[in-house]
Amino acid sequence: MVDRLTVLCFAGTYALALIGDLARVVARGSARWYVTVVLTALGWIIHTVYLANLAAQGLAIPVTGLRNSLLVLAWILVAIDLYLVVRSIRRLAVGLFVLPLVLIVLALAAWSPKGGWSQSNAWLTFWGTVHGLLLLLGAVSTCVAFLAGLMYLWQADRLKSKRLPQPGFALPSLEQSERWNRGAITLAFPLLTAGMFIGLALIVATRQVGGATLAWTDPKVVSTVLMWILFAGLLHARYRPEWRGKRVMLLTALAFAFLAFAMVGVGLVLPTAHGAPSSPNANGRAV
Amino acid sequence: MTPVAPTTAAATPEGHVVEHHREGALTLLTLGVDHRSAPTAVREALAFDGSKCEHGLCRLKEAFPGIEFVILSTCNRVEVYAAADQAGVALEVAPLAAFLAEFHGVPVETVAGHLVAHHDEAVVGHLFRVVSSLESLVLGEGQILGQVRNAYKVAVARQGVGPIFHTVFREAIRVGKRVREETGMDRGKLSIASVAVDVAREVFDQFDDKTVLVIGAGKMAELTLQHLKSLRPGRIIVTNRNAAKAEEAAATWGALAIPFERLGQALIEADVVVSTTSAEAPIVTLDTYTRVQRSRRNRLALILDIAVPRDFDEAIGDLEQVMLYNVDDLKAQADRNYQGRRKGIDPAQVIIEHETAACLTALRHQRNAGTLLRQLGDYADSARLREQDALFAKLSHLDDSERQAIAHTLQRLQNQFLHHPRAALRSAAATPDHDHPHSLLTAVRHLFGLVDPRPNPNSGQPGE
Repeated sequence: MVDRLTVLCFAGTYALALIGDLARVVARGSARWYVTVVLTALGWIIHTVYLANLAAQGLAIPVTGLRNSLLVLAWILVAIDLYLVVRSIRRLAVGLFVLPLVLIVLALAAWSPKGGWSQSNAWLTFWGTVHGLLLLLGAVSTCVAFLAGLMYLWQADRLKSKRLPQPGFALPSLEQSERWNRGAITLAFPLLTAGMFIGLALIVATRQVGGATLAWTDPKVVSTVLMWILFAGLLHARYRPEWRGKRVMLLTALAFAFLAFAMVGVGLVLPTAHGAPSSPNANGRAV
Repeated sequence: MTPVAPTTAAATPEGHVVEHHREGALTLLTLGVDHRSAPTAVREALAFDGSKCEHGLCRLKEAFPGIEFVILSTCNRVEVYAAADQAGVALEVAPLAAFLAEFHGVPVETVAGHLVAHHDEAVVGHLFRVVSSLESLVLGEGQILGQVRNAYKVAVARQGVGPIFHTVFREAIRVGKRVREETGMDRGKLSIASVAVDVAREVFDQFDDKTVLVIGAGKMAELTLQHLKSLRPGRIIVTNRNAAKAEEAAATWGALAIPFERLGQALIEADVVVSTTSAEAPIVTLDTYTRVQRSRRNRLALILDIAVPRDFDEAIGDLEQVMLYNVDDLKAQADRNYQGRRKGIDPAQVIIEHETAACLTALRHQRNAGTLLRQLGDYADSARLREQDALFAKLSHLDDSERQAIAHTLQRLQNQFLHHPRAALRSAAATPDHDHPHSLLTAVRHLFGLVDPRPNPNSGQPGE
């Protein structure tokens, strides 16, 4: 039964939850809110069972490989959405921002090849998992910062133009969105930094044991380093008074786009050996 | 309250009241005053404040035994709701009006001209309109729902409520919520000051670490601050060209008064600025506030410029991280909110009409079920007693204890036979089937050969 679960099962439930969330424009009663929350929670439970099954099959945290990482990323984002929706006193339209991103992430996951890398060397496997986990958590933080930035821009534009709030379309206050954005960027940078340096260390380590590894000029390596520089700049801007507000939110969106490119896009448009199987005579594999 | 003929009509000398009672019709009455019918002085004279409400309910129960009462007393409305569950008992306006006048110690002539009465079915519709705020001074206000709920609770606690008002008031509270949810009639604030608070909530979510600066100490500043104080800001600063006025206002609001010369520093400290001076030219220019924002490290700022003419240069609103609202912006928002509420009136009327009809059906069903239960009991009692008497006549040798034992057995047998039909009728009365409201009642009548007391709708007599 569990093995028959597919990405479509929970992605479909999230899509229904999103439709429920969009229905706030026409349906203002509590029933719509409950239906949306229940559908999101149901999708998340199926998603959890699916990931647990995946972990049980691989006997490891499912962060090996792009597909699994994207599935976990979507799972964490939905958990954050549920937490915010249930906890907040006002019925915030957070789901309208989170669920579309979740569906895009799941679509990319479904499109990505199955399976992940594996290492014959135990410590390489361990550090490879830590590398994947840190980058994944960094990606979660970046997504949160990006979504908070979007909500900020939307709300700020409405307030500046003195438009009335759309019925049933309550957004967090500017202060709250800014706080979420700042917290998420502050958290994302050390996570991405640690993840990236562990990845670089793994390149050096696999070279030393004579395994096939990534070249320093591999597009994945270059895009990740560029992404890190951009995040360093973003963190710096975040604490510069003159960069507060709209500008830092736009920079966050740029950083998010760069992260998406480094994480998913680069493998699609440029040749990279990241995560690819190593040559048969190698002791280790590409990281 | 006196029994009345099947169909009567009467009017008070003031011409307010039209009585219309029909056999089998619901017997309900509302009598009271509201902001349309009576001036404040009359409403105040008739108000049931605090313990007066409970005392009034006790006195009403003593004066009119067997009648259900609920008293609704708010700033703009004093109404006594009455219902009689006994067949043939009618509710009349005059004794109730006399009671109100006597209870409050005012001459009946003083209040009679202002009293408005609603009868029977109209009472349910009126209450639903009241609870939905369609009868309120401020359309869409939320307080009335709580006030109706409270009035019902007090009446329940004083045992003034019976089966009719349990149904009517519970339904009214549900309808009040439904109207608000489905029409959005309670959405958006209508006064400039309360709109300002809404805007503040969309900019900030924590206020205990915020500073509110009030420039000027006029009536408008006081009104806005009253609303802003509900957000519990960490600090309030008041400044005015007239230092004495600033001190006075600060003392009233628990704020800190500062000299007007320190306005620049106060602007740096303030997160929310309320400006209401009567200056003829802007007192804060774009250059000044640009410097202020630099000193504030470009933190979010909300400026509520409710002065006419404006105190803040309009261009300040273009600065990043500054939300500038002037009195026209706030008023436009309040007007749009009001228009939004007015759009909800027609859908609310439709909901109320539908709900009133459903509630009346439920009440009639409840009443018919009650009548049928009584008829069923009477029928069974008469059959049992007839057979019991016949048996005792045949068995004349039975002593008293044997007769008593047989009588008990027959009574128990009757109860057991009627237990399930009674339970089913009570259940049907509590949850009526709106599509087939009389199906079970009709079936029970047919099964036991009971007569339907309701008039035949085809007979040409007034029906329900």
